[in-house]
Amino acid sequence: MVTIDLGAVPVRDANEQIRKHGKAGENVEIVNPDARHHIGVGLTAPIDVHIRGSAGYFCAGLTDQATFTIDNNVGWGLGDNIYSGTVIVGGNAGAIPAVGIRGANIIIKGNMGSRAGQVMKAGTLLCAGNANFMAGYMLYGGRIIILGDSGERVGEDMTGGEIFVGGRVQDLGSDAELTDMSSQEDESIREFLDRFEIPFNGSFQKIVNAGKKLRYGSPERQMRSLPFFTFSGGSSYWNAKVQEDIHIKSQSGRYRIRGYGTARALPHLSDLAFARDLSRSVGTADVISKVQMYTEIGGINGANPLKLSMPVMVAPMSYGALSRSTKHAIGLASAMSDIAENTGEGGMSDAQRNAAKQLIFQCLGGRLGWNIHDMKRADGLEIYISQGAKPGLGGQLMAKKVTQELADIRGIPAGIDLRSPSRHPDILGADDLVIKIEEFREATGYRLPVSVKLGAGRVRDDIKIAVKDGFDFIELDGMQGSTGAGSSEVIDFVGIPTLAAIIEAEEALAEIGRRQDIQIVLMGGMRDGVDAVKGLCLGADAVAFGTSVIIAGGCIACMQCHVGQCVTGIATQDPAHEKRYQPEVEAQNIHRFFESVRWQIAALTHALGYDDVRKLSRNDLVALTPEAAAITGLPYEPAPRKRSAEALAG
Amino acid sequence: MCGIAGILFKHEVPGLTTGQALIDMLDGCQHRGPDSTGFALYDGAHSGQLKLRFFVGEAEAAQEAIARIRRALDEHDAKIVEEETIGNNYRVIVDFNGNLQKFSYAIEHAAKVISIGSSLEIVKDVGSAAEVDARYEVNKVHGSHGLGHVRLATESDVKPEASHPFWATGFADIAIVHNGQITNYWKMRRRLERRGFEFTTDNDSELIAVYLADKLSQGLPLKDALQTSIEDLDGTFSFLVSTDREIGYAKDRLAAKPMVMYENDDLVAVASEEVSLNKLFPGQALQTREPLPGTFATWSRSI
Ligand SMILES: Cc1cc2nc3c(=O)[nH]c(=O)nc-3n(C[C@H](O)[C@H](O)[C@H](O)COP(=O)(O)O)c2cc1C
Repeated sequence: MVTIDLGAVPVRDANEQIRKHGKAGENVEIVNPDARHHIGVGLTAPIDVHIRGSAGYFCAGLTDQATFTIDNNVGWGLGDNIYSGTVIVGGNAGAIPAVGIRGANIIIKGNMGSRAGQVMKAGTLLCAGNANFMAGYMLYGGRIIILGDSGERVGEDMTGGEIFVGGRVQDLGSDAELTDMSSQEDESIREFLDRFEIPFNGSFQKIVNAGKKLRYGSPERQMRSLPFFTFSGGSSYWNAKVQEDIHIKSQSGRYRIRGYGTARALPHLSDLAFARDLSRSVGTADVISKVQMYTEIGGINGANPLKLSMPVMVAPMSYGALSRSTKHAIGLASAMSDIAENTGEGGMSDAQRNAAKQLIFQCLGGRLGWNIHDMKRADGLEIYISQGAKPGLGGQLMAKKVTQELADIRGIPAGIDLRSPSRHPDILGADDLVIKIEEFREATGYRLPVSVKLGAGRVRDDIKIAVKDGFDFIELDGMQGSTGAGSSEVIDFVGIPTLAAIIEAEEALAEIGRRQDIQIVLMGGMRDGVDAVKGLCLGADAVAFGTSVIIAGGCIACMQCHVGQCVTGIATQDPAHEKRYQPEVEAQNIHRFFESVRWQIAALTHALGYDDVRKLSRNDLVALTPEAAAITGLPYEPAPRKRSAEALAG
Repeated sequence: MCGIAGILFKHEVPGLTTGQALIDMLDGCQHRGPDSTGFALYDGAHSGQLKLRFFVGEAEAAQEAIARIRRALDEHDAKIVEEETIGNNYRVIVDFNGNLQKFSYAIEHAAKVISIGSSLEIVKDVGSAAEVDARYEVNKVHGSHGLGHVRLATESDVKPEASHPFWATGFADIAIVHNGQITNYWKMRRRLERRGFEFTTDNDSELIAVYLADKLSQGLPLKDALQTSIEDLDGTFSFLVSTDREIGYAKDRLAAKPMVMYENDDLVAVASEEVSLNKLFPGQALQTREPLPGTFATWSRSI
């Protein structure tokens, strides 16, 4: 047994030591913990850690196989996302103990704070005292045993798992119900109590999901394939798409869910033009070698940066919305073009990890697929707050797409209509967020960049929080961004256009004099290298492509990503459909698309008179419409367009 | 976006001032708010006297502001007993016996008031607890109780006047620190404005302070005012309030913002995180409690 004194050793060093002792199989005792945060985070070895006193937030978080004993109290997020192992707390636990756990036994001898076991997937959480508000909120699986009282709204919006209450059931949460309990279940609980020497003679009441709320009773009827381009390009008010929309709603009686981005015309990068006449520069040979495009993202606070051969990344798209083969193809293409790929929601598959040279691992509120082992093999960690297509909302994955394999990676039951929560259990403000970021850094030894995905909403405030909370970069996503599934009203009518988002972000950072302390990756409606260059001119350090990537890889833009029967094998989990997709072939297609983007970025930068993409600036742009001028503050100069129109006419 | 702390001593504890206790507690949770730090401190009241603190800025601007304040004080029959400038503050003690609400609204127009009270003084500025202490010597304030706050600025800029604690504009000796967000801010503010109350910022924490002060001035005990606040205020909040005799807390029904408390024979301490409480008791395992959602409590001083 080794003793570490937190009165003398900072937590960061202590965690390094604990992990080292873990590798050597040596148990650890912590003295003077004094409720400090992040104790033991990221430990993946079967050792005992004994904390003599109280621990703070995220104690034993992101661990696997270890046993933690805490003599006194713990703060928020006890055992966050733990894979397996045992945690025993002698005193009380703060809010969200056992948040998102994938296994393990967590025993709290005192009371526990609100939202215990939120988005928990498996394992047992036992509280010998009373639970607080919303225990078992959005529970996906596993069991929660409460020997005392349940607290209010127990089991709120749980989809799976069981809650057993020995004391009083104060008040059931929405879509939760009491049900009978089998003698095996009772025996199993008694055995568990005996194992941890917790006396209890009372009886239990069992709470499960009532199945009334979180289900789509009838699947949406499949519609005719009507390409998005027809849909959004049309000028008539009542068009074929509107008609079909009404037909379908008249059958289903609910809002529609669809893939893709907004179909409304919004001010966008195409409303900007380059300030200089570039016609003479076109045609320069070997332009790629003349322009510096290599860009590092994420290293400004000392983490290992992503090393991009050009200021371009793949936007996060989930394995779930997209098939494994598609994620595989995108991973391969990103490696061929030497840029970074992003897991999106729903975890990391081996195929994807092995294909992508640089891979960002995304963490969402449902913590679906999130785990310490994949964090360690990622090249960047990203906290998803929202996305441009549906800022502030969670996600849907229809039952059809929740296959066994997908469910296993995500740690949930197969075949459920899966809703991902819109909020993180442990991020309710900038103050919690800063502790969360620190947890990720602790768990991965401060090696990896930590980024945030932000859908444009209150950009000014959000950007300031992002920089103050110490993120390495922001993925800023405008309203034109796409989604795998969102309510079509939200996709069309909620959000802030990409153009406005980047302008507001730059202004916010200028206001507090912190532009150099964070990098911005802009996305949402990037279609080619021309859009990319305009984004860079407006201040982005890099840009990301989502929709264009899947189109390059064979997407026919039918907008039925959510249904799960994608004929191209892209947005499906059905093996019969996925069979059609050839990752190696599509990877080449996507790669060639990226190379066209590279050429365009180089050609335009060169034509503008620069040898480095970092020299691009707002001065290189003008606005073609009054709206774009108003949003960007760029000079309103429609004339060049008029000239070329005249030239065409002539 | 912040961390809060409050302490009330049941009797004199040798070697520990209220100021130092709050500095230590805030140092423990500075990660929750790196932009600014503030304290509400209660010490040494003299009947018939008021302590006023103003932001006056620096150099010439400060001289002008101080001249304006002196004129305003004179106009309202407030006789200066003692005055000094510290940091960007002008601190003055006056003899005053008039209507405080009217007086403070008038003074507010002359300069930026930080606090007015017979024993309350609010000290707040940009920077960490240690930095603010170095500028204003908070550690020297003995007192019996007080509040503290660390802030991460989002909606408003990093300005000293936007930092906490907030004084209940117009009401002596009432201060508040708050973690969270009041979502029916404008509705509540308009309601109070229609009844003649003035607000000096757009900060939702000032609203809580004025709301409570209004209830207290109607003769409601602090406990009851806290109870109605849980019903009347919408949003997520954990806040602490202090008067010249008491401290109290209220917590929203959604339990979205943290709060932990500890009590022994010497003191009551409340903070966002236990790590702040342990700063007062290093190496000890404390028997702390987390207040339940939708609850409130008060403690009053006996010294
Ligand atoms: C099929 C699909 C799945 C997506 N999944 C995620 C996701 O899991 N996480 C995320 O942050 N964004 C997700 N997005 C949004 C993209 O990351 C990105 O915001 C958007 O696609 C960028 O705009 P663009 O498609 O116009 O390039 C998804 C988008 C699509 C099309």
